[in-house]
Amino acid sequence: MDRLQKLAVNSEGFVFDPTTGDSFTANSTGLFILNRLREGKSADEIAEELKKDFENAPEEVSKDVSDFVTHLHTYNLM
Amino acid sequence: MIKKYEKPVMLKIETGMMNKFGSSPYYTRKVRTEIDGVKIDDLVNEHGSPLFVFSESTLRQRYKQLYNVFSTRYPNIAFGWSYKTNYLPAICNILHQEGAIAEVVSEMEYDKARLAGIPGDKIIFNGPYKSISALEKAVSEGALVNIDHFDEIYDLEKVAKNLDRKIKVGMRLNMDTGIYPQWTRFGFNLESGQAMDAVKRIVNGGKLILNGLHCHVGTFILDPNAYALEVEKMTGLMYDLESKFNIKLEYLDIGGGFPSKSKLKGTYQSPDTLIPSIDEYAEAISTALYRNLKGGHMPQVYLETGRGIIDEAGFLITSIVTSKRLPDGRKAYVADAGINLLYTAFWYKYTIETDRELQGTNEPSMINGPLCMNIDVIEEGTLLPPMEKGVRLILSPVGAYNVTQWMQFIEYRPAVVLIGPNKTVDLIREREDLSDIIRREKVPERLKIKA
Amino acid sequence: MYEIKVAVSGINAVDNPGPGVGVARSLKEDKELNVTVYGLAYDAMEPGIYMDWVIDKSFIMSYPSGGRDALLERLGYIKNRHGLDMIIPNLDSELPIYTKYANEIEEMGIKVYVPTESQYKLRGKDKLEEVAKNMDIDLPKSKVVTSAQEVMEAVEDIGLPVMVKGAYYKAEKAYTTQEALNHFHKIAAEWGYPLIIQKVVKGEEMNIVGVGDGEGNTLGKLGIKKLWVTSQGKIWTGVTIKNDAMLKAVNKFIEFYKWKGPFELECMVDKGNVYLIEINPRFPAWSYFATGCGINLPSNLVRKAFGLSLNMNNDYEAGKLFVRYTYETITDMTAFQNVISKGEN
Repeated sequence: MDRLQKLAVNSEGFVFDPTTGDSFTANSTGLFILNRLREGKSADEIAEELKKDFENAPEEVSKDVSDFVTHLHTYNLM
Repeated sequence: MIKKYEKPVMLKIETGMMNKFGSSPYYTRKVRTEIDGVKIDDLVNEHGSPLFVFSESTLRQRYKQLYNVFSTRYPNIAFGWSYKTNYLPAICNILHQEGAIAEVVSEMEYDKARLAGIPGDKIIFNGPYKSISALEKAVSEGALVNIDHFDEIYDLEKVAKNLDRKIKVGMRLNMDTGIYPQWTRFGFNLESGQAMDAVKRIVNGGKLILNGLHCHVGTFILDPNAYALEVEKMTGLMYDLESKFNIKLEYLDIGGGFPSKSKLKGTYQSPDTLIPSIDEYAEAISTALYRNLKGGHMPQVYLETGRGIIDEAGFLITSIVTSKRLPDGRKAYVADAGINLLYTAFWYKYTIETDRELQGTNEPSMINGPLCMNIDVIEEGTLLPPMEKGVRLILSPVGAYNVTQWMQFIEYRPAVVLIGPNKTVDLIREREDLSDIIRREKVPERLKIKA
Repeated sequence: MYEIKVAVSGINAVDNPGPGVGVARSLKEDKELNVTVYGLAYDAMEPGIYMDWVIDKSFIMSYPSGGRDALLERLGYIKNRHGLDMIIPNLDSELPIYTKYANEIEEMGIKVYVPTESQYKLRGKDKLEEVAKNMDIDLPKSKVVTSAQEVMEAVEDIGLPVMVKGAYYKAEKAYTTQEALNHFHKIAAEWGYPLIIQKVVKGEEMNIVGVGDGEGNTLGKLGIKKLWVTSQGKIWTGVTIKNDAMLKAVNKFIEFYKWKGPFELECMVDKGNVYLIEINPRFPAWSYFATGCGINLPSNLVRKAFGLSLNMNNDYEAGKLFVRYTYETITDMTAFQNVISKGEN
């Protein structure tokens, strides 16, 4: 199973990785993106959803998504 | 339900860093939308970014506060404005208006003070290098010259000979006041007897009249007691000179070095906890004066405070131009101001305020300047909420030394504005352009590139 | 008895333990008091947070380096949201800010019983000569130094071996002048000036924990000797002692300085001679030892602060043993999650 799938994620954004024992905290947008990545959605799809679901999401929201994904890579979660 | 967007963040919870408030000072999350009632936006729209901003009211208040705490305890006191801390004429003139005389440490500063209309006898001339022409000018205009070394005694005797009169001089001392590092490279050492040798030399020469003692124990002095010790030793020498040589001194210049509320790197406690109030310094100095001066004797005392007066009156507005994610997970921001404008960033951690409320979780971040140099870092590690391009940071206190020690390296130096009474904003130094850089550059005819 | 909400910090009961858990446990054991204990922590992994039988509720605090506003804001939040009547700061790093802003914290309606700023300064090793004199005990021959030259002069004068000590932290023994210089440079680089060169005195290390009421009276004290220490020098086994010379000196200390709040004195005792080594202006990590011997110092501190009757049984038995042991508690991640995301649990 994919590393992302194995994460234990609660609704407050507390994330536990049972593989390594690492814990993380995500804010509401971070949690939103994480959950959609776990569903297998692409960065572009997620950016579109963010624009729809969040008030005043900026035009360059895809830049934020890609920064978030880079950050997951630095954690070796992807 | 429509939720409010904030930059997405997911942070690893690290051992030893499990504190919601983070290890960086809490004040990183402060918002400042204006300085003295003038909007940050308006300032930047009018004068560009980066931008140095000085608050006239803070400067005047701070001067008055310091002057009052000292003069109410010891009335015969005057402040010498330390030009090297900030010699923009508008700034100097505010302090001269408040009653400060000038304290300069080079010929350039001396000329600046004279140009501003300060008469020679209202200028204290210190420093380890004073050219003979500078000494001649200063002495003939009546400046208070504090001798730094033996060669200067000879130089001043030459000046006296040329002017064909005896001239009054002061003498700089260095001494142990429990402060480390002890500043021993300026002036004559007291404990080793060097100072006494210098006095003998001055007396024997017969051309100079010693009329003052000067000392400056160091910078960012956190122990008020060091000044008490300094005063005790200076008055001790003063009476010694009186009994041995019948020298009657007119003034004691006890220097400066009072800290401002800046966070010195390597200190743990915050400035508001660590730094004694100015009253404690005034109390230590005045108590030492009254304890050591003979009854009724009240010589003129000079203080040369620079940082303590101006640092908190100065701000630097800088804008975020981009950000990137470093391989170690940290967020790295690039701002349009760096160490080219903030020489003091090597020693101090600034208070960082943002021009707007920022949403999102604090994450480990660093702030770099615009220079193409690895050392150009304003803040190497702090927790900041995610910031987008265009967010403005207001750094403070930056009023001391930056506007004199800034360097002209690959960038134009920015404008400096002064916020005066009733929200007036005056430009006190224009932003540089190419003409400033090339004005004194010459290209030999044979090297000119022909179209 | 009405409920009193007391916050204690230093609940990091780890291999180099903070004093908080011992203080909290002492408060809980005074059955006449109705104390709710809050733990103030700086890290979600401080064990006290998970010891719900001693600590009722925990809060993450901003670090002392965050300064006055951050501290007062956080205390204000706890006070307004949950109620807070008193705070007992237990960590060295907290004392500068708590002593400086004690009055402002009191004005918020939160009692804080800490030394005054001038009492706090007495802990400096460069002040101990004066303190020892006023306590009528000795100080090992010492010199305050700020330069390598002075170190050499001091070593010459005092004779080897010597202790090289920072004003507030760190002490190293040197057997040669070169070693003394090395320690001097290392400690100075880390902790600043001045340093102290001190004669190494023979004898046995003894410690006293006590509380002063700020008016010259003691609210209790207990003397101990450490029998076994960890590799970090922390007590693991100890025994109560009654050394008259030392107890008399402590009374003098409290009387002369009108000491306010808890303290720990470290002494070397060689036959009849008592030498002062160190003053810590807070509870030591082993202060529960006194409680276990019938002298509940934290509860007397709270009683004094609220004007309640004091427990003035000042006598204890010599020869009581203190044995520290390890113990594990297993919990799920809820408390951890709460502390991480909400900053309290």
